[in-house]
Order: sequence, then structure tokens, then C-alpha cells
Amino acid sequence: MTTTTDRPTDGASPTVPSPAPTGGAPARRRSRGTAAAPYAFVAPAAVLFVLFLALPILYAVYLSFRKVKVSGLGLGKGSHTEVWAGFENYRSSLSDPDFVASVVRVLVYGVILVPTMLGLALLFALLLDAHRVRSKPFSRVSIFLPYAVPAVISSLLWGFLYLPGVSPFTYVTEKLGWGSPDILNSGWVLFAIANIALWGGVGFNMIVIYTALKAIPSDLYEAARLDGATERQIAWRIKVPIVMPSLILTFLFSMIATLQVFAEPMTLKPLTNTIASTWSPLMTVYRNAFIRNDIYSAAALSVVIALATLVLSFGFLRLVQRRAFAQEK
Amino acid sequence: MRPHTSVKAAAVVAAASALLLAGCSSDDSGSGSGSGSGAYTTPTDPAQKIELTYWTWAPGMDKVAAVWNKEHPTIHVEVNKQDGGDPAVTKLLTAIKAGSGAPDIMQAEYQKIPTLVASDALADISKDIDPATKSAFGDGSWNAVTLGSDAVYAVPQDSGPMEFYYRADVFEKYGLTVPTTWDDYAKVAEELHQKDPKAYLGTFSSTDAGWFTGLAQQAGASWWGVDGDAWSVDIDSEATQKVATYWGKLVEEGVIDNKPMYTPAWNKALNDGTQVGWISAIWAPGVLSGNAPDTKGQWKMAKLPQWTAGDDATGNWGGSATAVTTQSKNPQYAAEFVTWLNTSSEAADLLVSEGGLYPAALASQKSALTSPPDFFSNQPDFYSLAAEISGTVKPFTYGPNVDVAYSAYNDEFGKATKAKTQQAFGDAVTSMQKTTLDNLKSSGYNVKE
Amino acid sequence: MTATTLPAPTAPGRPGPDGAAGRPAGRTAGRTAWGGTTVLLLGAAYCLLPVVWVVIASTKSAGELFSTFTLAPSTHLWDNITALSDYRGGLFWRWMLNTALYAGVGGVLSVLVSAMAGYGLAKYSFRGKTATFNVILAGVLMPAVVLAIPQYLLLAKVGMTNTYWAVLLPSIISPYGIYLSRIYAAAAVPDDVIEAARTDGAGEGRIFFRLAVPMMMPGLVTVFLFQFVAIWNNFMLPYIMLGNDKLFPLTVGLSGLLNQGATQPAMYTSVITGALLSIIPLVALFLTLQRFWQVDLAAGAVKA
Repeated sequence: MTTTTDRPTDGASPTVPSPAPTGGAPARRRSRGTAAAPYAFVAPAAVLFVLFLALPILYAVYLSFRKVKVSGLGLGKGSHTEVWAGFENYRSSLSDPDFVASVVRVLVYGVILVPTMLGLALLFALLLDAHRVRSKPFSRVSIFLPYAVPAVISSLLWGFLYLPGVSPFTYVTEKLGWGSPDILNSGWVLFAIANIALWGGVGFNMIVIYTALKAIPSDLYEAARLDGATERQIAWRIKVPIVMPSLILTFLFSMIATLQVFAEPMTLKPLTNTIASTWSPLMTVYRNAFIRNDIYSAAALSVVIALATLVLSFGFLRLVQRRAFAQEK
Repeated sequence: MRPHTSVKAAAVVAAASALLLAGCSSDDSGSGSGSGSGAYTTPTDPAQKIELTYWTWAPGMDKVAAVWNKEHPTIHVEVNKQDGGDPAVTKLLTAIKAGSGAPDIMQAEYQKIPTLVASDALADISKDIDPATKSAFGDGSWNAVTLGSDAVYAVPQDSGPMEFYYRADVFEKYGLTVPTTWDDYAKVAEELHQKDPKAYLGTFSSTDAGWFTGLAQQAGASWWGVDGDAWSVDIDSEATQKVATYWGKLVEEGVIDNKPMYTPAWNKALNDGTQVGWISAIWAPGVLSGNAPDTKGQWKMAKLPQWTAGDDATGNWGGSATAVTTQSKNPQYAAEFVTWLNTSSEAADLLVSEGGLYPAALASQKSALTSPPDFFSNQPDFYSLAAEISGTVKPFTYGPNVDVAYSAYNDEFGKATKAKTQQAFGDAVTSMQKTTLDNLKSSGYNVKE
Repeated sequence: MTATTLPAPTAPGRPGPDGAAGRPAGRTAGRTAWGGTTVLLLGAAYCLLPVVWVVIASTKSAGELFSTFTLAPSTHLWDNITALSDYRGGLFWRWMLNTALYAGVGGVLSVLVSAMAGYGLAKYSFRGKTATFNVILAGVLMPAVVLAIPQYLLLAKVGMTNTYWAVLLPSIISPYGIYLSRIYAAAAVPDDVIEAARTDGAGEGRIFFRLAVPMMMPGLVTVFLFQFVAIWNNFMLPYIMLGNDKLFPLTVGLSGLLNQGATQPAMYTSVITGALLSIIPLVALFLTLQRFWQVDLAAGAVKA
């Protein structure tokens, strides 16, 4: 995701690729022009993809098998030479207990965040789609608004809201005599980070699900309504099952995005004692590349993370293809 | 490749007073300039205008460059302001790796210089500058830019001798005396916290490695060393342990805060007077006036508390030099600018007034700092006291993986401040030592244990 | 030129801009469902709270920010905007323009490239199609932190780092945009329309630009909006690529004001004021193009 870097948790959730039109097979007639046409259409994207995604990825893979050799004190020109490292970078990265711990931490983070985010997104979307609920336009825009705030900025804002002394919440709890809870310097820091991601991502997912809901032809449940079904029953029995494909996709995308959590903990890090430089796997990559100046082990870690996400995405790709594009050929 | 002899290295070690040590002279092709003398003639043909880019994070440097550009119509310096310290170095190192994209001139903190030299990022400008430049600076800062060798990798810009800042009004209110030893400091911290449970004399910040390094430096630690043609790491020393466990005890007793500095909450504490003291450095007035403008006239500066009564020692926190990068196509002109920037009196005045820096050049310290900073107008002797203190900075050697040690500091002391036990603080130092040493070894450096 | 033989670009089967076909609007007569309304308003309040905080905080002077009650507004908004505008000769507004350039131009080019690729993938069968699509989609999975350094090293080899191109070019390729375009093309451009145009002798390129693009347009606007926001909020790529602060986008510039290093005070009031000002264009975009955020996302899904 080159362009959505600093808000990994919004994920790039797609629209519902529900069964699409049953068009006839295209391009039955093959002239010379049409045979070349698809390649011409895909070419710009393919060229850019190769230049700015594929080549960098391959280069990273190459770097992951390299390391630097230092002679003497390692000062001055020519004292550093790049040599082959074999699987050394992989061995040392994977055996690093900090890295293993960060993977576990981020999995827990994802298990907390993703169901909460999608649950709320679904709830809000259903309410937006429900009868007799007021304040819809206002709420829809308000809940979607955080999507416009870069993660770097939103983390700073929430930092102000978390820190005792400047937080309005601790102001209230102090007035009530409950003391001043310091969320960032406690075991709750995971939730503090998840909350920022939730705040940034719930609106986006709500819009995706809401869009899917609006696409349901109303006659599907007008009958149920006439039969006396409550709004709640209609929501659970009819609407939710129909938008399930959309939910599954947003779930997978969000899960992948949580594995890549980076900007939020990175921005909060200077505010607290509790976020180490290896808090998430990507932070470890960042530390190795930028603080330890060791792009080789950073590249190795990146390859590991990418492969892990690839395995996760494999199921996703199959799902997408089966559901969305079966009709084309 | 450079020849490496232990004889040469041993000679360097002999320069024991060096702030920074390293064992070799620069590569012969270091500066790449032909003429070899210190003076260069400025090109007069406007068509040959030289363009120099300058990465810095100090404020107001564009105004300093504007003065230079006006006087030197054919050498144009373009200031690119960067994020503070670390990100700029990160970008520079990436550009060096890539072979292009680096600026001509670069602000570099003293502790980053060995790392930058190790990555071949800084040009040796010894042949491009006037040999007399050396005499403009104290030995400590000059050694920091030469790494104890014949090469010159930068010209010192500013320094950061550490001092103790305190709220004179709060001290008066509670009848506290200004501590002169660390024992006193502990007592005052306890007394203050008793009288006002919300107030602290200071905080132990796990996010400011440079701050802790300065305190260890005051106690006599020197974290890296050169032994023959091998590096040594001496973080887990008696001196560092002494500092760490001292603060660990204060944190454990709860008389000192354990929250990081430079957070909104810390700013708030500076404003509302619950952060009564701050162990900081000479540039503190700028930070205080920016973060807590309404407390003007309530702060005072004193010498750092000492480990033994009657001692006179301090450490460094912050301070930087200006370097020419190896990618500069005009190192001689860049060096000319760098020298002007850090030694001329007209530039020095601007460094002080626009940049809020404490100049490293000795003459500039006298000429540019005649009256106390506006924020400390209540303390007329501010700069004469500062000058006295800056002469007592203890020697300290930085190694090629300072960033690794600093990041280990953040992680290990983060755990320790959270645990709030004296034991944890001592363990953190041991862990720092291990991480730093392991990294040096795994990076392939010659390491002596 | 006149293309009289081409059928008029229509979008058969798509819902009108006001929502799904024939659905009664949400606001129906009857009693208000207070429970649901309350939940929705709570959600809105949760999402608005930090925004309200920014608005209030940006009215405070540097001293007040840390001394008065968090949610108590003050009167220094204009002073803060002036101070921010004065910073290094109006650099902030240059960042704003840069960001608009990166997001605007990058978004448009991205839509063009994505639309072509999506159309090509949806409407033709050709050798390597599935593989191409899978590989492009897998690009979504590569985190930017991982890509930033290799991208930098490669762009440096052609001397393009520290230029507008360094940020623009990598922003054009959007696996997500291609994915969406493919869905929109499949759903909104009927095959028989293409066939008819071909029978009339129209070239493939003309069919795409004259027929398919107008049909896909609402969907493409959505792709543009998503890509625009993604580039607007991007941090890592410009952070690595750019050394010259005159080329910075807002995110990198503001983060620089915040990370001044230990020896300088962080410019909190400027950052907060800058954050507020940087959100305003996006909010305007949300409000003016609201219907594209709701309707056209559905374009791929309408045909139940």
C-alpha cells in the first residue's frame, strides 16, 4: 500500500463484490486491434507497478541476503563492504524474542480492534439504514470525518486527550475524586492505540457496509415488515446476511492492516514509557533500518512480514475471485 | 583501503582528553579538492553561481544564510529545514547509501559524527579550511569534530553544557535551598514532594537518552573507547551504575516523577509550576520560553549538583557541528560557508539571536552573549556563570553505534521507569551494555571485550 | 470525431444519485427511534470529540494551551494562523499547495491508470490476466515502511529523489483503485454496448474513452476521492523521499514542527492550528461530494 501508508488500520476495504451482472462473454470477435487492446489498457498500470512496487520488493529481497562487513574501526571510506549473508538475517530476525513478542502483541491488538471496529461500523450502518432513526446526515458525516485526519495528526490529538494534566477526561475524574488514570503509562496502552485506530477506521467501514445495505432492493424486506417483523429482526435476519460478503472482506482487509500497525504507536512512543521501539513488527523494521542503520535485517524482516500477509491474503484473493469476477469469462 | 596500524591507533588513544576518539586519519581522497590551501577565491562570474544546500533543524538559519547570500552573490546557500536531529541523520544516511540526494552542508550532533564518518557521509575538510580555525574552539569541541585524528569532519557550531534550572519562586515559597550535591538534590526533592504532593523537583525521562548520557558523563563515564584497532563498550561501568541507581532510588521512593519530558503533560507541569526543577543544558531558556512563556522571570539557573561536594563537573546534552557531506560537488565553497557560519562574529550574533544557540566558538561566546537571555532577565550573571560551567565538561567518547545504545536506553529505561524499582534501573544499564556490544559485534566491527 | 454511430453514454441499471432505486428515504414518518438515534449520536460525539478539541485548542495561545482547562476556548485563533503563516515566509501555505498538487494530480493520474487497467481486466480475456490481477492486488499487502527504502534507493539511481516526481509517481499506482475500477467496469459497462460500438467500427480506445469512462464516471469519482485522501494523508513516502522542505506535504511539514529535537520547544500551537487548517479542505471535499461517498461505492454491488 504505497499511498495509504500512515493509516494502516483503515485498511483498504473494498465494496461488496456481490454477484455481478450476467453479461455475455466479451470480445468474442477478435481483430488485431482487440487482441492488443487489453495489454495496452493494462500497460501503464503494469509499468508503474513494476517500477514502484515490484522492483523495490525484489530489491528488498536481494538486500535481505546481504550484510555489511567492517574492517578495523570502521571509520572512513572503504571500511564498510557489502557481502553475502545467506540466511543469517532471517535467522537472527526470527530468533529475536522482541520480534516474536511484537507479533503476538499485534495479533492480540487485532483480535481486540477488528471485531470492535467492524461491530460498531455494522451497528452504525444499520442505524443509518433503519427507519425512524433521526440525525442521520449529521451522524454519517461526523463518524466518517476521522477518515480525513492523517494518523500522525490523530495520534497527536489523542495523545493530548490521554495525558493526565492536559486531558479533559482526567479533569473530570479528578473532580469526581477518582484520581487521574494515566492510560499511556499503564497496561492499557494497547487499548489506547487500538482506540485511535478504531476512531480513524470505523467511519470508513461504516460507509462500505452502509453502501452495501442501500443496494439491497427494499422489496426484499418490505414483505417482512408488512408481516410485522420488527426493525431489529429485519436487520439481523435479512440485512446482515446480505451484507455478509462485504463484512468478510472488510474483516480481512482490516486484519491485514492491523498487522501493519505503525503510525499510531510510533507517534505515541515519545509520550510514554510503555511503547518500546519493537512494539509492533513494522516498528522493528523501522528500528533496524533507521536507528540501527541495518537495512539488511530490516529487509529480511520485511520479507517475513510480507510472506505472512501473503499467506493471509491467499484466502482473501480466492474469496474475491470466486465472488466478484466469476461472471467475466 | 586505509592502512591500519595499532601504532597509529595507540597514538590516538594517547589523546585521552579527547571528547571523541577514533583511530585513523581520513582517506587521502577525502575532500577531493585540488588546491590544498585554506583560502579559495570566490567565483566572480555570475554565470558560475555555486548552489549549496544546507540541512539544518536550528531555527532562523535561513536568515543567517540570507546574510551570507547577500555578501556572496555567486555562492548561494539554500536552507532546507529538517526535523530535529535524528530524522535528518536518517535521511542523510539513506542518501549516502543511494549515492545521491544528500545536501552539501549538514548540521550534525556531536554524538552522531562517528556514525556519520563510519558511513562515509562526512567529507574531510582539513585541506579546505584555514588551519587557524582550530584555535577558535575549545579542545573538547574540536576533538569532537576531528575524532582525535588529523581529519576535520565538521566545524563546531554550538554546545550544550548541562545545568540545573529551578523555579526560584517555588523554592522561596517552600524555603528550599538550591542543591549543590546529588545528596542535597535527593533531600530537596523529598522535601518538596512532601510539602506539595503534586510537585516534583524533576523527572526521570526514559525518552531522552542524551540527557542521561550527559549525567553519566558528569559522573565520569565514557561509553565507548578505542583500544588498538578495536572498539570497546563501557556503558555498564561503575559511574553509569551510580547515576542509574541514584535515579532509580528517587523514582522508587516516588519523590521524582517518572514521566517522559517533552510531552504535552510535561509542558503543562512546566506551566503550572508542578515541575519545579529541570536538569537541562544551556539552551533551556529557548525551550522554557517556548513551552511556558508565562513563567518568565521565575526560573533561575545553577550549576549541576555534584557527586562530591566541592567538585566542578558537568556533562553535555545537545550541541552540534556543521559538516560538509561527501556528496558535495563544491566542498571548498561549502567549507568556506561552514567556517564563516561558525566563526565570524556577524554569524555568531545571528546564531544567538535567531537560533537561540550557545556558540561553540570561544570568541563568539564573549561577543554575542553580553546580556542574559530575555527569559532570564532576572539573572544578570547568566552567561558568565554559563561560561564558567562550560569549561568543566568532562571528556566522553562516542562510538559508531550511538543510536543503538540510545534506542536501547529508551526501551530498557522505559521498562525500568514503569517498574519503578532501583534494581530495574541498574539492570537497564546492563541490558544497554549488552545490546550495544552485541550490535557492534554483529555489525562486524572489531570489538574488544 | 462526431461519433454519431456510438450510442449515447448511459448508465443502465445504476441507481440515481439519491440512493437505491425506489427505496423510501430513511426519514419516514412515525415515531423517532430514540434508542437508535442516541447510539448514532454517541458515535458522532465520539468521532467529533478530538475534532472539537482541535478547534478549541487552536484558539489558545502557547501559554494557555497548557494552563487553561482543555475545553475552554480562547481568542487567539487569528494570532495562531498569522504566526503559522509567518513561519519561514509562509511555508505552511506552500505545504498546503504541495499537498493539493500531490493529491490532486496524483489522484487524477491514478484514476486514469486504474480505470484503464480495471476496464482492461474486466472487459477482455487475455493471457496472463488472472496472474496480472493477483500480482497487482498482492501489492496492497506490502507495507509502505517496507517499500520506502528500496523505493528511495532505486529512485536515487535515476536522480529523482527530492523532487515532486519522487512523491507523485509512486502515488499513481493503486492496487485498490484498480480493484475497484475492475468492479465498476464489470458492473457499469454492458458488454452488448461495447459489441455494438465495435460493430459500428469504433476503435478500442475510443470505446473506452467515449463509452466506458462516462459510464464508469461515478465510480471513478469514488476512486479519485479515496486516492486523494490516501495521498493527502500519506506520510512515509514523502518523509523518506524529500529533503527540501519547500516540497513537503502537510503531514511531513507538521511532523517537523512537532519534532524539533530536545533543544527547541515543540511548536504545539502551530501544529494544532496547522492540523485544523489541513483538515478543512478534506471536510469541504466530504461535504460537497457526499453523494459520491455513499452512492457510488454501491455501483459494484447494486446488481443483486
